[in-house]
Amino acid sequence: MSSIALPREAPAKPPRKGLSTWQTWGILLLAPYVLVFFVFVLYPVSYGLWLARNPESYRTLFEDPIFFHTVVNTVFFLLVAVNLKFVLALFLSGFFVHDRRWIRWLSVIFIIPWAVPAIPTIFSIRFMLNPEWGVINSLIFRWFQVDGPNWLTNPQLAMAMAMLVHIWKALPFWTLILMAGRLAIPKELYEAASVDGASAWQKFKYVTWPSLRTLYITSTLLSLIWTLGDFNSVYLLTGGQPADKTHVLATLGIRYIRLDQLDHAMATIVVALPFVLPLVYFMMKRLSGDEQKTS
Amino acid sequence: MNRRLLSEAKLWLIAIPVLLWTLIPIYHIFLFSISTKDSAFSGALWPKEPTLRNFGTVFRQEHFYLHHFWNQIWNSLWIAVATGLITLLVATCAAFSISRLRVRGGRTVMNAALFTYFIPAAFLAVPMYKAMGTYGLLNSRWSLVLAMVTIAAPYAIWVLKQASDKLPWELDEAARIDGATPMQLFRLVYLPLMVPSLVAIFTYALLLAWNEYLYAFLLLSHENTIPLAVGLGHFLSSDDSPWEILMATALVYGLPPAAIYYAFRRYMVGGLTSGAVKS
Amino acid sequence: MAAVSFSQIQKSFGKTAVLHGISLDISDGEFMVLVGPSGCGKSTLLRMLAGLEDITGGTIAIDGRVVNDLDSKDRDIAMVFQSYALYPHMTVRDNMGFSLKLRKDKPARIAEGVARASRILNLDPYLDRYPRELSGGQRQRVAMGRAIVRDPKVFLFDEPLSNLDAKLRVAMRSEIKALHQRLKTTTVYVTHDQVEAMTMADRIAVMNEGRIEQLGEPLELYDRPANLFVAQFIGSPAMNVFEGIFKNNHIEALGARWPTSARAAEGQSVKYGIRPEHLALGADGIAAEVEVVEPMGAETEVLVKVGAQTFTVMTHGRPTFGPGEKIRLAPQAAHAHLFDAASGRRL
Repeated sequence: MSSIALPREAPAKPPRKGLSTWQTWGILLLAPYVLVFFVFVLYPVSYGLWLARNPESYRTLFEDPIFFHTVVNTVFFLLVAVNLKFVLALFLSGFFVHDRRWIRWLSVIFIIPWAVPAIPTIFSIRFMLNPEWGVINSLIFRWFQVDGPNWLTNPQLAMAMAMLVHIWKALPFWTLILMAGRLAIPKELYEAASVDGASAWQKFKYVTWPSLRTLYITSTLLSLIWTLGDFNSVYLLTGGQPADKTHVLATLGIRYIRLDQLDHAMATIVVALPFVLPLVYFMMKRLSGDEQKTS
Repeated sequence: MNRRLLSEAKLWLIAIPVLLWTLIPIYHIFLFSISTKDSAFSGALWPKEPTLRNFGTVFRQEHFYLHHFWNQIWNSLWIAVATGLITLLVATCAAFSISRLRVRGGRTVMNAALFTYFIPAAFLAVPMYKAMGTYGLLNSRWSLVLAMVTIAAPYAIWVLKQASDKLPWELDEAARIDGATPMQLFRLVYLPLMVPSLVAIFTYALLLAWNEYLYAFLLLSHENTIPLAVGLGHFLSSDDSPWEILMATALVYGLPPAAIYYAFRRYMVGGLTSGAVKS
Repeated sequence: MAAVSFSQIQKSFGKTAVLHGISLDISDGEFMVLVGPSGCGKSTLLRMLAGLEDITGGTIAIDGRVVNDLDSKDRDIAMVFQSYALYPHMTVRDNMGFSLKLRKDKPARIAEGVARASRILNLDPYLDRYPRELSGGQRQRVAMGRAIVRDPKVFLFDEPLSNLDAKLRVAMRSEIKALHQRLKTTTVYVTHDQVEAMTMADRIAVMNEGRIEQLGEPLELYDRPANLFVAQFIGSPAMNVFEGIFKNNHIEALGARWPTSARAAEGQSVKYGIRPEHLALGADGIAAEVEVVEPMGAETEVLVKVGAQTFTVMTHGRPTFGPGEKIRLAPQAAHAHLFDAASGRRL
């Protein structure tokens, strides 16, 4: 077969007819996860979908004014928060790949928002933004002698703040991912571009972006899916208030659970599925496709 | 010489806002936790009389919301470690089976795992809540552990599989010719070579469970079983809660993950981004 | 030690057939080399013997016993891989003793087995080191040590020297040969390097596209290649080959007459093959022009042109002419090979 350079592909399955010891162990070792999947994913999801079968739930859902607000909020949240986050991640990833000791230390600090739990940090931001006694408004009053805005009681401002919270928490992770993507680009490409006389912007346009583009888009899509499920940023900051005007689909679903209306809760989720499922399918194809290319 | 200075200055221009942006909320927690009630609400940037009294209150469980503080921390710890261990077990076996033993149907299981990984956790929460009810697990710590394992395992399997695929095939072949059974291959060759990834996965699952809020408050409500995250959430039920004590508690709650992350950061960063980029 | 026998071996990966009915008998204690270009199936054949690949058709027997359905570990074989396949997390000592440990042998016996192998291969100073601390040659020796410890019936080598640099390869070749002479274990050795094949083998099986082109002792293959493929594969530099017509008792080609002691049909289209060392450069013979002169010290390789064809000529001693000179080429008729132009078979 091949001689030197190429790493050998995984050979075809080990030779044996029927169920060899190896195949048996393969099944045994896979069984725990399969069990977990069936009991805690397949059954609950199937049951959930069954709960959502009643068209009545959807009618009541659509007639609820809260629902309309929620959908608008969610769409805004997704479009603005995710894209802003990724533009920042793209920019910062370029910053963090610089080879300096102090930048490496900074990157360790930068990860903190992602690594620590949501409650302490989001509560902290919530208190900072408190219109009466929060630090922000106190400072604004002290410096400018005016009352600061109602950060959390004005629905639009509150949504904006929730988006900022989300970005604050999620940015480090995606910055890391894009950093890894940048580091995978061979240095020689940049050196060749320098010799060819490229400016920093041209280097980005012709070397960095073509290599990063796929990762960027894939990550954005994945982030869209996950941001849809971001419960903490909204719930811990505003709780959906005031007057249930700052809900997103994730928090709305949970609200219905609290009200013991499980069918409405499921309906809220099912409504998002036509958007989520194609994205999930696309992501899965992407990842298994990449699998086959490199395996 | 000037060019270097200029580019360094540009870097600092970016670094400072990033630093501020990252640390201000953290600093704020710290600020509140060492403030007295009055100075906390005065909007000062540094308390006039910094005090550690709040921590004392927390550790001595001296407030209404803190009566079960130690119990709750214990629950958080128990749940986190259990999640870490079980995820490690389930994911390691599955990854070995899919990657090295090349079991039939391995790809399907991997795809099922990926599917679970991509679905937003909040979406899974509603059906999970109902299912746990059916299984009779609500209010048992096991419900949260198993839910967390369900969420953490797919990613764990993915990362382990990626790392495992990098091990040369000749090692397995040499071991089989040497006479190894599947279990011997697993114990004596595979596991020792996967240690960095195993550490990363254990830490990941551990932190995931410790930091979890949504599933925790959905699945556990009994005073004895709630983890610290839920306990903190209770502070919000009244408008008049002692926020400075809340922040002190929150600081205590948030320190372990920060410390663990710092200690294992090399494993985590490598392990967690390996799945993203094929280099 | 044992005899190995391949009987009508077929192998297909899905719909693609890669081995087309290979039959080969290896005697007890023989050093058999399977050589051929990439993709010819030699490694696949070896791996089937090792139990790492399924056998699509035919049987393999070791010591008279059919092993088709036996697991690798039950075949009593040991294998040395191209990439050494040493366990990175174990010391040299543990690497070599691993198979015995798996069998749950007593620690004393394991130590004894390891010590014996280590002595034979001069690995004593490295026993407590890790593979990453060793050079390529040392690692290869550890891989061989691991094989020796098992005291198997057959040694299998899968291109073990391909990852080493040229000098080391030469040194290791002799070591492996010496080892074989000492232990006398039946050995099946796969390589794409015909020099390794020629220097190490008791017998060589030249393979191409899933078939054995010729089986025989090295010099037999060298002196009497059964077809064009073997003729051009064995021997370095390669045999010079060109097309011509057989007339009377010589070949007409390239506007000249080429002598040969072989016979073909009158007017038959043939391929004329002659090795570089069987061409003399001097005053008599076929007109040629010197293109490149490559002095190698003891010998000189000269590229000459006759018409459009370039010939490689190997002469003893130092060069006596330079590029561009006109010279005469004298082939030794007794060493000229004739092959059928269509089939490539020896005439």
